[in-house]
Amino acid sequence: MTTAAQPQPSADERPAARARLLTKRYGGDSEVAVTALDAVDVDINAGRFTAVMGPSGSGKSTLMHCLAGLDSVTSGRVWLGDSEITSLGDRELTRLRRDRVGFVFQSFNLLPTLTAGENITLPMDIAGRRPDRAWVDEVITTLGLGDRLRHRPAQLSGGQQQRVACARALASRPELIFADEPTGNLDSRSGLEVLRQLRVAVDRLDQTVAMVTHDPAAAAHADHVLFLADGRLVDELEDPTAEVVLERMKRLDVPRGS
Amino acid sequence: MLRATLRSLAAHRGRLLLSALAVLLSVAFVVGSVIFSDTVRHTFDRLFAASAADVTVLPRDAPEGRDQTLSGAQPTLPAALAAPAAEVEGVADARPEVRVQNVTVVGDDGRRIGSSTGAPTIATGWYPEPRRVVELAEGRPARGDREALLDRDSAERHDVSVGDRLRIVAEPATTEVEVVGLAAFTTTNPGATLVFVDPDVAARLLLGDAERATSIAVTAAEGVPHPVLRDRVAAALGEGYTYRTAEQQSESAAEELGTVLGVIRWVMLGFAGVAVLVGVFLIINTFAMLVAQRTRELGLLRALGAERRQVRRSVLVEALLLGVVGASLGLLAGVGLAHALVRLMGLLGMYLDPADIRIEPVVPVAAYAVGVGVTLVAAALPARRAGRVPPVAALADTEVSAVGRPLRLRAALGAVVAVAGAGALVLLARAESAGRAGMWLAVGVALTLLAAVLAGPALVRPVVRVLGLGMPRAFGPVAVLARRNALRNPRRTGATASALMVGLALVTGLSIGGASITASFDREVDRTLGADFVVQNESFRPFTSEVARRVGAVEGVGVVVRERFVPLRLALPDGSTHRTIGAAVDPELDEVARVEYAAGDTAGAVGADRLALDRRFAARHGLEVGSTLEAGFVGGRTAELRVGALVESGSPAPGGDVGAFLGLPTLERHQVAGQDAVLLVNAADGTGPPVLRERLERALADLPQVQVRDHADYKQLVRDQVAVLLYLVYALLGLAVVIAVLGVVNTLALSVIERTRELGMLRAVGMSRRQLRRMVRLESVVICLFGAVLGLALGAVWGLALHRLLALEGLTVLAVPWWTVAAVAVGSLVVGLTAAVLPALRASRMNVLDAIAHE
Repeated sequence: MTTAAQPQPSADERPAARARLLTKRYGGDSEVAVTALDAVDVDINAGRFTAVMGPSGSGKSTLMHCLAGLDSVTSGRVWLGDSEITSLGDRELTRLRRDRVGFVFQSFNLLPTLTAGENITLPMDIAGRRPDRAWVDEVITTLGLGDRLRHRPAQLSGGQQQRVACARALASRPELIFADEPTGNLDSRSGLEVLRQLRVAVDRLDQTVAMVTHDPAAAAHADHVLFLADGRLVDELEDPTAEVVLERMKRLDVPRGS
Repeated sequence: MLRATLRSLAAHRGRLLLSALAVLLSVAFVVGSVIFSDTVRHTFDRLFAASAADVTVLPRDAPEGRDQTLSGAQPTLPAALAAPAAEVEGVADARPEVRVQNVTVVGDDGRRIGSSTGAPTIATGWYPEPRRVVELAEGRPARGDREALLDRDSAERHDVSVGDRLRIVAEPATTEVEVVGLAAFTTTNPGATLVFVDPDVAARLLLGDAERATSIAVTAAEGVPHPVLRDRVAAALGEGYTYRTAEQQSESAAEELGTVLGVIRWVMLGFAGVAVLVGVFLIINTFAMLVAQRTRELGLLRALGAERRQVRRSVLVEALLLGVVGASLGLLAGVGLAHALVRLMGLLGMYLDPADIRIEPVVPVAAYAVGVGVTLVAAALPARRAGRVPPVAALADTEVSAVGRPLRLRAALGAVVAVAGAGALVLLARAESAGRAGMWLAVGVALTLLAAVLAGPALVRPVVRVLGLGMPRAFGPVAVLARRNALRNPRRTGATASALMVGLALVTGLSIGGASITASFDREVDRTLGADFVVQNESFRPFTSEVARRVGAVEGVGVVVRERFVPLRLALPDGSTHRTIGAAVDPELDEVARVEYAAGDTAGAVGADRLALDRRFAARHGLEVGSTLEAGFVGGRTAELRVGALVESGSPAPGGDVGAFLGLPTLERHQVAGQDAVLLVNAADGTGPPVLRERLERALADLPQVQVRDHADYKQLVRDQVAVLLYLVYALLGLAVVIAVLGVVNTLALSVIERTRELGMLRAVGMSRRQLRRMVRLESVVICLFGAVLGLALGAVWGLALHRLLALEGLTVLAVPWWTVAAVAVGSLVVGLTAAVLPALRASRMNVLDAIAHE
């Protein structure tokens, strides 16, 4: 097991999100309490594509939920940009998610009653803000959704739906986009397409993406991979390739305690 | 498979809660009304059986029920008939009896002692046992003509005790008596007020003639069958009288009462009907949603080898269990409701013993038939849909509530039924008799309701579009989501709104009818009432001639025109017989009323053996001025009358479209003396109405059976009567609204569960709890407004149709109660907001992570 090195942000990389001693326990103080995250320190660097990997139950989804303000933490601190979010109430967290974070979930990303175009601008509509038309158009063009805007989600393929979800996450130009297994429900070709879109979002649109995945091939699209196991950050990797990631994962999958 | 069904029922029991409540309400109303009317019928059967003589001899064609009440006529027969009757073989005893209803009992304080609900006041002799339904509870029997007994219930209600003085205002004279005893009912008190006098003086006091009686009561000797005895007595006394056995007598008494109880029964069944109708929508929705939510689960069952039939049956078994549970609870609630009704009747003066409450075997049968029937019928369609779920649904990752199925068929079907309904209403508008029009109204209402229910889902889209136009700007972007949610499954929205629609349509239609009646009457009063004052009572019951005598003697009174109600049987030239209530008036009618004649005049109408008829009625039956027809009067006499005038409008007759009236002299020639129902009074020249009113009121102060009314009071009297009808309507609406709210709550709650992930996603991308709550509330409001729009439209159609029906009865003014309409519209908003409270709270409390968690 590699030592859990303290991630050192390079000088030009301001962290989009960071956590210190982040601990999340389920089940309170009882004996059956499960520790999902155990004093994790992590930095998500701005302008980069970060993948969070780990086997099932490693705490990777919990980490993302806590970083995104979707879930409360048991102890430790979490910052989004410069603001600490660990102490925020529901109202502030809601506003924070709405204005500063974008989400792409594994499935059920879109409201079936709204068209693709309406889904894309949904967070701004909820906020009662006028979308930045030029930016939204750029996102739509970049993701190749121009001819799909009037369609309802039911009329789109799974891959197209996820692309609309990506566009929605991008549309409000958030500080950070969280993607939770965005390719989990897609065939490999559609999955690849979505990963390319996220890549494009980082490279061309200058966005920050944090993606949770258990698929080494997906993680290979990232700039940086964080490995979680048993609620701890156990490894990380720069400029990964699928082979290297797979190799590391195999090591993590070795039965614990051996 | 059964285990899977039971598990699924247990898992969804929260979701079935409101459906169970709907079943419960429906069953409770059915059970309550059946038990109540059984109980009442049974106790009254006992009462009548106990009070009827073995054989009763009555004057021929003695008026009964409504005819007697309206005319105030009291035919009699010679008391001496008892002697020959007693001689008949097999007769143990025969005696003359006196029993009259045309009396008023006045207490010490000058107030009338009697029912306020229209139950009769009966004065009779204190005849010996055994056929007495009362027993002496206190004091002693009355002796001589200065004493009387009062029934204990009335005594308690009016605070009368032994030793107090009463006045019995009978037709021949007013008698002052001392209460020497109280009589208690041994069976149910039907609500009547009973006064007993000494049998020896009863005929003199109440009929004014000691040699007369109202009936001869014959007691059979041991072992003589009543019908045999009846025939023997009839043979001995000859034709000219009516003979009845005890069974016939109690049957006819029950029939008389039947109309009142019939009303109660129908009202209760009306409630039950509304509850059932509205409950069906709720249950359909619940099961449709449960099936939609379980599409994958059902697909899995199919994939594992379950047949369509099995899947369908599993849904039906679930419905069956729901029906059984709901019916069982409803049965209990219905028994409670029956007890409550018995208590309520006690407050109204009808004392039923709760121990007498009868639960016939048919009651549980009806309960389970209604409860299970309703649920199974409501679940049939969703069950069919469940059976159609393909096995691949288990694998598909599609949205749970797929909507797509087109509504064209429903729209088309709805349109066809609507056209049929409209046709019925057109026939109604063209109908010439009220009976026929009533039938078309019933058909039209039923068809249009069915059409609205069928086409409702197809109307959701266009109507909600229009309703929603103003919303987004006012409520922000959540309004768009709310509106789309309401549009998302038009069937669901339509069915949910239908419940509200039914209630609102009922109230709108009937309140248009009520307002039209009031407005028509107002106009009629303005147009036709020329008198300064009207003397009568609020229940339009006839009163003793004492009133007319006193009014005539008041200083400053000009003309007094007496009006009596005349039950008539008209034998028409076309061979048919028409029963109606006509009027008989003094010849000076023109001085107090403005009757518009199409032919002839008042002099012609009230002349000897003449009568006036409504122009349209006469035309329909080929009658014109100069035609003759045979008229049958109360008491059995008939007379050849000549049509003396045709009335265009303003006939004093209460009998609607026939408009028959004649002169009092004509009536007196052919009918045993009746009583006045209305006195139309004018002030003499030089006497101001306010002065006269005061004098009239002073003169009538100790005759509380009548009141003096001017035009405004008179209009108010009618308004109050219509208001009673409307209260009933509002009570019905109240029930419908309660269930409709349950329905909306049900739909929203299930939708919130169904959309858990969607709501979670909305929260994740930044929708606040408040916005989420508002979204659910707005969806609810949209559904309710949709129901209100449909309900108001349907109700307006019904109201117009009802107005056409009323127009045939001479009530031609159409009035729309805009305040009620506005209240209904605003009320539906409130209903929407109320119904959304809990589902909205639930939606906003949802944990975001649970909501977006992977399956």
